[in-house]
Parts: sequence; structure tokens; C-alpha cells
Amino acid sequence: MSVLVCLGAILLILMVVIGGKKGARSFLAIFFNFGVLLFIILLMTNPAFHPITLTLIACVIISCINLFYINEVNTKTKTAFLSSIITTVILLFFILLLTEKAKIHGFGEEETEELGIFSLYIGVDFVKIGASVIIMSAIGAITDTAMAISSPMRELFYHHPLINRKELFAFGIRIGKDILGTSANTLFFAFFGGYIALLIWFKDLSYSLDEIVNSKIFSSEMITIFCSGIGVTLVIPITSWITAYSLVRGREKKEA
Amino acid sequence: MNTIINRLEKMTAKQMLLYGMLAICFVASLVFVNYNYSFYERPIAKITEAHLQDTSETTDLYENTDTIYTQEITAELKNGEEKGKLIHLTNEYSASGAFDQEYSVGNDLFVYINPDTVDDNELTGSILDVKRDKYIVFVAWIFIFTLLFVGKKQGLFSIVSLVVNALILSYALDIYLRTSDISFVLICSTSVILFTVISLLLVNGFNEKTYAAIIATIVGTFSSLLISYIVIWATSGKGLRYEEMQFLTRPYKDIFMAGVFIGSLGAVMDVAITMSSSIFGLFEKNHNISIKALTKSGMEIGKDIMGTMTNILFFAYVSGSIPMLILYLKNGSPLGFTLSMNLSLEFARALAGGIGIVLTIPIGLYTSILFINRKRARK
Repeated sequence: MSVLVCLGAILLILMVVIGGKKGARSFLAIFFNFGVLLFIILLMTNPAFHPITLTLIACVIISCINLFYINEVNTKTKTAFLSSIITTVILLFFILLLTEKAKIHGFGEEETEELGIFSLYIGVDFVKIGASVIIMSAIGAITDTAMAISSPMRELFYHHPLINRKELFAFGIRIGKDILGTSANTLFFAFFGGYIALLIWFKDLSYSLDEIVNSKIFSSEMITIFCSGIGVTLVIPITSWITAYSLVRGREKKEA
Repeated sequence: MNTIINRLEKMTAKQMLLYGMLAICFVASLVFVNYNYSFYERPIAKITEAHLQDTSETTDLYENTDTIYTQEITAELKNGEEKGKLIHLTNEYSASGAFDQEYSVGNDLFVYINPDTVDDNELTGSILDVKRDKYIVFVAWIFIFTLLFVGKKQGLFSIVSLVVNALILSYALDIYLRTSDISFVLICSTSVILFTVISLLLVNGFNEKTYAAIIATIVGTFSSLLISYIVIWATSGKGLRYEEMQFLTRPYKDIFMAGVFIGSLGAVMDVAITMSSSIFGLFEKNHNISIKALTKSGMEIGKDIMGTMTNILFFAYVSGSIPMLILYLKNGSPLGFTLSMNLSLEFARALAGGIGIVLTIPIGLYTSILFINRKRARK
């Protein structure tokens, strides 16, 4: 049995034992997400499709899976969904501008050795694909943070139905501050874990500091870390505002 | 406008000082990275003119069409002995930009100066790389401002924790590279404990919630590592394509395991702190709550977070492979081969991390209950 099948089986058993039905759904969600990712990648190999449009479509479907499939369709998940998409779009524009300026798209000098056998003139736009990579790295964390804010806000509204919009918003921000540290850490360590080989490489081949900082690989990794950090932070006020607005508006509609 | 003035009036002297210092740092660092040419030993040139010289279409073996452009570039040297002289460069780039890029006026480039032309007035040479430091500094500031603006004090702590952890990681790797007799796993375990203690104390402060979370994180990470080790050992690593690991100068298995270990740590910490804060929260609201009720609520919370947490790891790991997957597919590699070559390690990492996350739910729950029981017994 291969390592992946074995690890997958262990994860499935643990998820079902601890999470029951919801656990099984969470496990399946990983595979649905992988399916979406794979499908989008296959479409990206066709230069006729615009990679950014594809990325946005992927983000919408992935957010749907993470929010509506694992949880349910309700006010909580709906506002979290809207906030995730808005954050993604804002972040996407920022990243697109940046990847083009900093020229961090495509493959770095350090990777070319193993790419020797490949034709690199393949006609797809690597600048846009580079931006899409950064967004996709953060999409899981963005939906998670959005959900972690909208859910307790809904609970508070349920217990204090007469609360005004400003107080609700302040509550959302307060929760956001509490989870900001841990969600940022989740991403930082995930990236650190992936970059260990690269760091050892730099140290072993005694790169000087200026060579490291200006190299394409290192700068693109740093920019990925910072941009995903910006993403999980930005989603906090956006979700708080949208949830506060929609909850209060729902109440006003009922009253009217 | 009035609200801004009101806010300014409400600010304390300490806050003013803090914001002022931040603004000064921001401006100073941006000015520095834009004019730091003399700090570099490698020659840097700023492009003053760039003209498109030639355009040609190519088609490769796999019927991929692309356009290749040739640029004639004139740039002014910014440092070294030839400072102020003009240098002529050519740049070939493709429309897809997999390994090349278009340059435009104002870009800073690291260049190689052809020594034969040094005596002439017109230098020639070749382009080595782009000067990217200013972009990193710029994004770093946007990151810092977003975190401080939204998170205030907690935002500051996240930044501090990021910096401290990065320094520890770098230091741990230095130790590993300098001493061959200390095992890598030992170094990693020590760093993992340090990472956990520092990050959780910074995020949550000194209290019992944090202590419970620290213990849960350490137990959770080590048990997931143990499971991954056993699985890899029992299957003798079948299906893992270590040969596709990039940047290898050291034993690949160690480096891979260290990556799994540290990569899942953040997510495990997140789960541990969520579990302990919510269980302590329930206990603080009602000191007489039964252990059974605590367990039930704790499990409910755990169910809510495990799906999204595993997905965070999945996307953080797998997304990085997108460009490589596209390159493989466009070069006529079969889908199955492409996936197993590029994703086997990323998938193993995501699955091992997922196991860590799920295991930490009951572990976090029982450590918190243990601490609560101790608290009750003391009374």
C-alpha cells in the first residue's frame, strides 16, 4: 500500500470517529477541492482562457465547498461567502500589480537545471498564473477566518436581537483580533515547512544576503507569505461589516 | 474631517510617538531600498531606454505557440567604478514569461559588465537578475500596516511572533548545518517546542488556557509525526517521489519530515488554542458545568473546525505546484505521471497535517478538562 493511501485511510478513520457525518463530509471536501483545482489547472493550460477569470471561478466554487457543503446554507455561511469573495477580488488586484512589477512569475534560476528537458515557450501567461498561485494558497485560510467571525456574530445577534449595527461590527472586529494571531500562524508555519529545503540550499551554497533577498524564488516566497497574511487580516473588517449590515437589515425588513 | 481631528486629540502622547516612529521607519526604509545601490557589490544598472527590436513566433514539439521578443536596453550604472556610465544590454523574453521577463524604463537590474569594453565609453554586458528588494520591503509594510490597523496590539504580536519564529528557524538550520553529530529530528523537536511556546504565549498571554494549548499542541504534533514515520517506514516510502524535491543539498527524507513537522504546527496550534479557549470559556461562564457537558460541547466545536483547517493546509501546500503542473502538462506529460511526480509529497504533507489537526481535537479537549479538574480540586 502506498504512503498516500495509508495516510488518507488513517485521516478518514480519525475524521469519522471524531467528527461523525460532518467528519466524513470534511474528508470528502478535500477531494472535491482537489478536483476543482485540477480542473482549473487543466483549463489554464489552454491559453484561450484567462487565468484570472479561472482563478475567480475556482475561488467561488472552493468557497462554496468549504462553506456550504461542510456547513450548511444559512445566513452565517452566506455572509462568510460574500466576504471571502470580496476579499479575494481586492487581494487579487493587489497581487497582480505586484507580481508584474517585482517580476516574480515563472521559475527561478535555481529551478532551471531540472527544467532543461522542457520547452519553456508554452504560450500561457505565467504572470497571471503566479498571481493565481498566491491567491489559491490563501483561499482556505480566508474562508476559514470569514466563517470564524460570521458564526459568533450570528450567535450574539440571536442572544441580543436588539443590538445595533455599530456594536455588532465592534464585536466582529474583537473576535477577529483574537483569531488573527492564530490564523496568521497557521499560514506562516505551513509556508515555513515548505521552504526548509530552500533555506538549507541558500545556506549550504553560501548565498550572500543580497543574493537571497533579490532572488526570484525567495522574493516570491516572501511575497506569498505577506500577501496571504494581508488576506486573512483584510477579511476580518470586511466580514464584520457585511455580517453586521445584513443581520441588521434583515431585522429592519421584518419590522417594516 | 472633524472625526479625524477628534481622534487625533484623543490620542495619547505614547500613541503619537508610536505612530510617528512607524511613519519615520516606513519613509526611511523606502528611501533606503530605492537608493541603496552603493551597498551592493554586484553592479546595478537602471534602465533609461528600452526598444523592441525583433518579434518572432515559435512553435515547439507539442504544438504550443509562443511569441519571442528581443529588446535593446540602455541602462545607467548606479554603483561601482563604472558608476554613471551607460551600458547596452539585450533581453530576450517570451509572451508566456516562464523563465524570462520584459523590462521597462526605470527597472533596476543586476548586470555583468563585459570586461573587454570597460575602457570604452560604451559598455556592453548581460542581465543577471532583477533588483527585487524594494518590492519585498513595500509588501512587508503593507502587511505590517494591515495587521496593525485591524489587529492593533494583537496584530503587533503576530508580527513579532512571525519575526521571532523566522529567526529561530534560521538559527536552528545554522546549528544543523554546522554540527553533523546532532540529529536533525532532535533539532527540529527543540525548535517545534520553542515555536509553540513563543507563539502561543505571544498570541494568548500567560494563563491556563495557553498552558493547556501548549501541551495539546506538542502532544498533537508529535503523535502526528509518529504516525507519519510509522506509515512511511511500514510502506517503505512507496509512492513518495522524493526525486522531485527541489533544492536538495542534504538527506532528503530528513528534510521532508522536518517540513511535515513544522508545516502542520501552525494549524495544530490553531486547533489547540480554539479548543482550550472555548472550553475554558464555557467553564468560566458556569463553574459547575459537568465534564460530560464540556466533552460534548468540545467535540461539537472540534467538528466545526476540522474541515476548514485541513483545507487551509491543503491549499497552502498544493497551490505552489500549479506552475510546475502546467509546465508538465504543456510538455505532453500524461496526467497521472504529472500528478504523482509533483503532488505526492505535497499530498503526504497535507494528509499528515490533517491527521495532526484531527488528533489535536480530543487531545486539546482532555488537556483542558485536566486543567479544569485541577483548578476545581484546588478549591
